[in-house]
Amino acid sequence: MRLTIYLTLLLVCITTSACSNASKPGSKRLTLAVVSGVEGDALKQAALDYESQTGTRIEIAEFPYINLFEKEMIDLKARTGAYDLIMLDDPWFPRFASEQFLTDLTPLLQRRGQSGPDSDFVETSVALCRHPYQTGPLYALPYVGNSQLFFYRKDLFEKYSLKEPSTWLDVGVAVNTIHLNETAGANGGQIYGYVMRAAQGNAAVADFMPIFWAFGGEMFDTSGKPTVNSRAGIEALQFMRELGKYSPPGYASFNADEVGAHLLQGTAAMSINWPAWISSFNDASKSKVIGKMEFTTLPGQVKPGQAEIGNWLIAIPRDSHNAEAAMDFLLWATSAEQMKRSAQRGNPPTRRSLFQDAELVAKNPAYPAQLRSLETSRPRPRTPHWNEIENAFGIFLSKANSGSLSPAEAMNQANAEIEKILQRAR
Amino acid sequence: MLLPVLFIAPALAVLLSLSIYPLIYSVTISLQQETSAGVTWSFENFARLASDNFFLTAMAHTFVYTIAALTCEFLLGLGLALLLNKQIRGRGLFRASLLVPMMLPTVVVGVVWRLMLNPNFGAINGTLKQLGINTESLTWTASPRLAMLSVIAVDVWQWTPFVFLVLLAGLQAIPQGPYEAALIDGSSRWQTFRHVTLPLLKPAILIVLLLRTMDLLRVFDQIFILTEGGPGFATETISLYIYRTAFRFFDFGYAAAMSFVLLALTSVISAIYIRFLQAKEAV
Repeated sequence: MRLTIYLTLLLVCITTSACSNASKPGSKRLTLAVVSGVEGDALKQAALDYESQTGTRIEIAEFPYINLFEKEMIDLKARTGAYDLIMLDDPWFPRFASEQFLTDLTPLLQRRGQSGPDSDFVETSVALCRHPYQTGPLYALPYVGNSQLFFYRKDLFEKYSLKEPSTWLDVGVAVNTIHLNETAGANGGQIYGYVMRAAQGNAAVADFMPIFWAFGGEMFDTSGKPTVNSRAGIEALQFMRELGKYSPPGYASFNADEVGAHLLQGTAAMSINWPAWISSFNDASKSKVIGKMEFTTLPGQVKPGQAEIGNWLIAIPRDSHNAEAAMDFLLWATSAEQMKRSAQRGNPPTRRSLFQDAELVAKNPAYPAQLRSLETSRPRPRTPHWNEIENAFGIFLSKANSGSLSPAEAMNQANAEIEKILQRAR
Repeated sequence: MLLPVLFIAPALAVLLSLSIYPLIYSVTISLQQETSAGVTWSFENFARLASDNFFLTAMAHTFVYTIAALTCEFLLGLGLALLLNKQIRGRGLFRASLLVPMMLPTVVVGVVWRLMLNPNFGAINGTLKQLGINTESLTWTASPRLAMLSVIAVDVWQWTPFVFLVLLAGLQAIPQGPYEAALIDGSSRWQTFRHVTLPLLKPAILIVLLLRTMDLLRVFDQIFILTEGGPGFATETISLYIYRTAFRFFDFGYAAAMSFVLLALTSVISAIYIRFLQAKEAV
């Protein structure tokens, strides 16, 4: 009986200590929540280097993208202090910051003799780390500088004497030319003019926003009322549907994988996409378009083209027990030297000097276009309710692209749904 | 006196911590509203259900999915069980191969079918093209008309073997006596099936229908992998919507309210099945 009690107590102790992964106050141990994939891998590697250089033990909690938000949110709401540093996708930032879950970095910077973030960071990236956007206190530092690019097949553009598209009208002309000659024409090929992500939710919204902005659409007016059903918004969705006619069948369910597969297989000529795909085009084991892809900034229309920014940020939760040690690591990991290593591991940097670094540019010829895109990029609307708004908006965009609703019906219903979400939040 | 209490204490502790406490907690949060002024108590989350088009549509999809998949699985499972209950050549091989889909993890099934249903690179359209069929409009999970059909077909493919297995076990448990009596009375095959097989198989039928109904009403992983509820909400079921509300929008109160509606519906349907089952046992 006594043995059973001892064994039970031992089990309870083991379970409790295993569950409690929070760093002890002042200990030389940090816990870092990272996303699976190339963005998180670079930070994991950096953590190992930091550990061997400084002796600070860093524990990594790695989660797939789809689970990272909920894991972090649960920890932040419960105030467990389980993580000393968190990687976060920039659309999550307004929610985390508005609920005061994050540590204001300015006092920590000031204690290290800095008045603010390094001026080498691209302004659009740093603006994401402030709440309110661009003007408020600094709650994070930018780590991965993603922003969308326009991908196109330069061999086909040269073949049909097409100019690099600077407007969506140019894209329409190019798409039509390729359709007539490569999809339906005498060449009898199977190269579609365009390919896009239109699966409901984030995918459809991400591919729509640059078109929406270029056509003059705005999600909200100055008083915060939704305006997606403006004339510009409806015209933008009509144009998206037109592009859909030149996309492979089933594009209404496409996500990043399907778009990537079409581009790599050489069955689509143009697309909006993220820089993470660029390296695969020159990988002979995956690509049939080696040396044939070109990357540029997003086309404009009535307004100059703007890409959607999608940076990975690193922040220190308010309840971290080791904010000072976490800040030391954060500054080290986002320094030019370490970010260069991250860039060599495949992550776009957030520092201007690295986009212009000769060694990195030689390896990443798209860097000049990436920098131009990042510098002129726009964030998704900075609202704490973006996840819900994006979900609703994405459903109606998907309905329009799959033919269930006309563009006007889709935008009117999306507007009403967004209005309901905002009303509930008031 | 103390000993019996000690014996049931572990089971009671597990029940309290894993079932009763979470249930009470979810009732609590479903009645709470987070506002800028703090937490308030109201029936707001339940009242919101009636005017939430996404919730109502997701409920309708869940019922369509459940009824269609259950009907197909039952009819196919019963047919296969009757067929393979007879002495036919290769019966063992058929039975074993029929069980394979059921043994696969649902996520694997979702990924495999997602690839097979891809309109451009998928095996299904590839085969149809080989047969000279125009597949231009067969976009499966991307089509608002075909998406629901596609996810139902995948469920039928995976779970018909389970229905078959339970019904086959039920058939094999029926004694030969009633069949011999029916034969002596000169009843036809249909009469024997209608008046001997079906009544004696009724407990197995009700159990398999009960289990499948509960599973279908809460379907999540398969649809999440195959369509993520799209295109344009065409395959969004209530579990997906609850998941999104809880873990993407972090509105746990509203998610808990929706879960209670689903729980209530599942309980009512289960009670009806159980009533039928008990009525049979009482005969």
